[in-house]
Amino acid sequence: MIKISNLEKIYRTEDVETVALNKVSFDVKEGEFVAIMGPSGCGKSTLLNILGLLDDPDGGSFVFAGQEVAHYNERKRAGLRKQHIGFVFQSFNLIDELTVYENVELPLLYLKVGADERKKRVEEVLEKMQIMHRKNHFPQQLSGGQQQRVAVARAVVNRPRLILADEPTGNLDSINGNEVMQMLTELNDAGTTVIMVTHSEHDARYSHRIVRMLDGQVVLENVMI
Amino acid sequence: MLRNYFKIAFRNLLRNKGFSFINISGLAMGMASAILILMWIQHEFSYDKFHEKKDRIYQMWNRSVFDGKLQSWDFTPKVLGKTLKQEMPDIQEVSRVEIRSPFLLIVGDNKLRVPGGFVDPGFLTMFSFPVLKGDAKTALNNVYSIVITEKLAKSLFNDDNPIGKTIRIENKDNFIVTGLVKSPPTNSRFQFEYLLPWAYLTKIGWDDDYWGNNSTNTFIELKPHVNAEAFSTKVKDFTIKHSKGQEQNELFLHPLTKLRLYTQFEGKIAGGRIDLVKIFGLLAVFILVIACINFMNLSTARSEKRAKEVGIRKVVGAEKSTLIGQFLGESIMLAFIAGVFALALVQFFLPLFNSITDKQLTVQYTDIRFWIFLVSFILFTGVLAGSYPAFYLSAFQPVRVLKGVLKAAHTSFSPRKVLVVIQFAIAIVLIISTLFIKKQILFSQDRETGYSKDNLIYHFLTEDLVKKYPLIKNELLNSGAAVSVCKTSAPITEGWSNSWGFEWKGKDPKSKIIFNRFCVDDDLTKTIGLTITQGRDINLKEFPTDSTACLLSESAVRIMGFKDPIGQIVKDNSIDWHVVGVIKDFVLQSPFENTQPMVIEGAKGWFNVIHIKLNNANSTAQNIKTAEQIFKKYNFQFPFEYQFIDQEYAKKFNDAERTSKLISLFAALTIIISCMGLFGLATYMAENRIKEIGVRKVLGASVINITALLSKDFLKLIVIAILIASPIAYWAMSKWLQTFSYHINMQWWIFIASGILSILIAFSTVSYQAIKAAMANPVKSLRTE
Repeated sequence: MIKISNLEKIYRTEDVETVALNKVSFDVKEGEFVAIMGPSGCGKSTLLNILGLLDDPDGGSFVFAGQEVAHYNERKRAGLRKQHIGFVFQSFNLIDELTVYENVELPLLYLKVGADERKKRVEEVLEKMQIMHRKNHFPQQLSGGQQQRVAVARAVVNRPRLILADEPTGNLDSINGNEVMQMLTELNDAGTTVIMVTHSEHDARYSHRIVRMLDGQVVLENVMI
Repeated sequence: MLRNYFKIAFRNLLRNKGFSFINISGLAMGMASAILILMWIQHEFSYDKFHEKKDRIYQMWNRSVFDGKLQSWDFTPKVLGKTLKQEMPDIQEVSRVEIRSPFLLIVGDNKLRVPGGFVDPGFLTMFSFPVLKGDAKTALNNVYSIVITEKLAKSLFNDDNPIGKTIRIENKDNFIVTGLVKSPPTNSRFQFEYLLPWAYLTKIGWDDDYWGNNSTNTFIELKPHVNAEAFSTKVKDFTIKHSKGQEQNELFLHPLTKLRLYTQFEGKIAGGRIDLVKIFGLLAVFILVIACINFMNLSTARSEKRAKEVGIRKVVGAEKSTLIGQFLGESIMLAFIAGVFALALVQFFLPLFNSITDKQLTVQYTDIRFWIFLVSFILFTGVLAGSYPAFYLSAFQPVRVLKGVLKAAHTSFSPRKVLVVIQFAIAIVLIISTLFIKKQILFSQDRETGYSKDNLIYHFLTEDLVKKYPLIKNELLNSGAAVSVCKTSAPITEGWSNSWGFEWKGKDPKSKIIFNRFCVDDDLTKTIGLTITQGRDINLKEFPTDSTACLLSESAVRIMGFKDPIGQIVKDNSIDWHVVGVIKDFVLQSPFENTQPMVIEGAKGWFNVIHIKLNNANSTAQNIKTAEQIFKKYNFQFPFEYQFIDQEYAKKFNDAERTSKLISLFAALTIIISCMGLFGLATYMAENRIKEIGVRKVLGASVINITALLSKDFLKLIVIAILIASPIAYWAMSKWLQTFSYHINMQWWIFIASGILSILIAFSTVSYQAIKAAMANPVKSLRTE
């Protein structure tokens, strides 16, 4: 599903050049659950952003679902993103001015899904995430765990093929963290590919494979048994 | 999707009440001001556009070179109109129009003096003043016919049918009402309540066939398909030819639709009232831009709060264009809310605006065009205010904003700072201009008029008053109500006559310098208080030959080149006037212009006005009462309608004061709106730098240090604005002052005072937030991190 080879990303300021990704190559198959680990600043979030088509690489190739997307423009990337990718962030990133329901509905609006279908799908996913009773609340009225459940609901409502999770349990206590990991596992079991950046060995154990990075490079790949 | 946008926009509005208040009220004020000004401009442009034949109607104008300068004016010989009609087949219709000194209209005990005058019979068919009763073609054919407006008909005859009824004029002749017309709309140059046939003017001996007497307005209607330019060329030498070369004035056509706004010519149309319209148009744009800048600045200043939303929307699939649409939609929605408030403000302030501008503007709620205009205007404002924030906000990179990388950059150059500088530069230009305009008006008001305005009144002469003048004068003096009385050709505040035809010994035959012409019987200096610098006043009692005596003004003596003016002869209208005295120049016409040379002719001249210097020993009310009794005795059919000279003189400043009031009002508004924006910015700045302030306080900074630190950034911008605004204001004001011959010089203190004033205003605006931030407990602010 994903094939990257020799991917490069360099950040430049006036005096300093930082290599965030240094010829990174690896594949992710459809239905896989991959964890990316490594110390802070090793380039894992940069990699995730590129995989999520939020950022573009400076070199190398990125094939997503059979298409070379490394040099897609913003418009095309936005198109792919809304069709195929769901995001879960450490800090939840819900829109404070929108209710739980409206936050989850948002990706469907950009996909121009009809009102009835939208209602059906949002309610379905809210039920699944057990947050239906909070649908008219605003994010600030929810606990961290509930907010992350809303974020997961929003990530899956457009039925993406790929979920990218950036330290999804980083801001949660262990009980809520486990619940989120459980959800991601269930989604993966249902066929959705999951790529997760994490610092937590515990969380990484939910994955099929761990990709370890250091200084912008992939240094090790462990297959979980 | 739209619902989602609206929800967010509304929730944002409610959540940030202060921001919303500043934005909506600022925009509403800006929009209301712009709407009022646009209504005023629209009214100015609409003058006489309602006439069906407007594109074929022209006024005849003269142009000639005087004293080396090409001058153009709209007074033409009375004989021109009828001669043109006789000789030029391209002309469909002609009307001379003489709407000036009003007559007294009498119906029973009902006596009224309302504006009206003489026109040719073609007037009613040329112009579109709807004739409600009577026949437009024939209504003014009879010498004793009169056409009146609905309004006058109501005053004179209530609801009776006025046609066929009699109106007595000046207690002299009876006229039959032959036509009833709708009152002219306010956007017409012709403001009359009644029209009399030109034939009556001829009958009472006011007409003349003299090509040198430019004394009336002549309008022509060209036949369809006649080329006006070609016709203008044809009639160029019409006066020269008919006066057999005695008059050298060229004729030209000036379109009816341009008469209101274009009255200055330099070979071609060069300006006039249109300049004022342009200034006000610019003012409308400025005020709107300033209000929009507030919106732009506050929206972008708050961008950190919206950045996360932008990031999330992009992550879930929003494209840049969708986001631009969303933010533009928000600003348009805000503009609509502001538009509703603006309309309420317009309605509320319209009476005040009308009183300042001396107009009767109304909001045309029932006119669909008004609503189309309003909606377009709101959309325009929304897009203008929202475009920059929309592009700014939608350009955020989700990767950066979601990581919280976006921080307010304290760079030396940012669009927000530029916008604040623009706002204040405009406001400062307006402050400087206001001060200059006020100073110039004061300067002209304080100008030595050259005569004493106190306790001086005038009254127009009627036929009875002319006959009984010696008796009235005597009785006024004997009663003790007056200390001096004289007859003149015009009120001392107005010049009714001038000429370049005076002759004197040694005159250059090519000289075409215009002199004002004024007539007086005697006692001029005693009554008016003019100063004699050489010789003596005209005095008929002691010198009976003074009926052909004249006085010259000092500038007239200079121009005529007399070393010893007393005893010199000045020829005018075939009379040899002998100079008996010289008077100091005085302000006859505009107090903003240099005085023109002047010849004051003696009792052989013509008289329209009686001037009375009231006795200081009595109260004014008592003097007026006595004078009224005397006038009533000899002029019993007419009301005692006197005017105070000081009040009449004050009217010369009406236009300038109106402009000054408007500019001050809008200058104040721009300051208020700009300060609201500055206040909003200072609030956000204080919020953003809260941690920095906390750290500084922990390290020992005092409240004064912090206040200075926070205010400094803004004050720097104001100083830059002053530096930009001053040369612009200098240029504009020196240009404006040059339009007056009598004007103040550039005064540096105005620039300095305006600068200090703007700094003070800006400082008091930002200091509140700065002090508040400086006083905050650092422990609290540091804990927020």
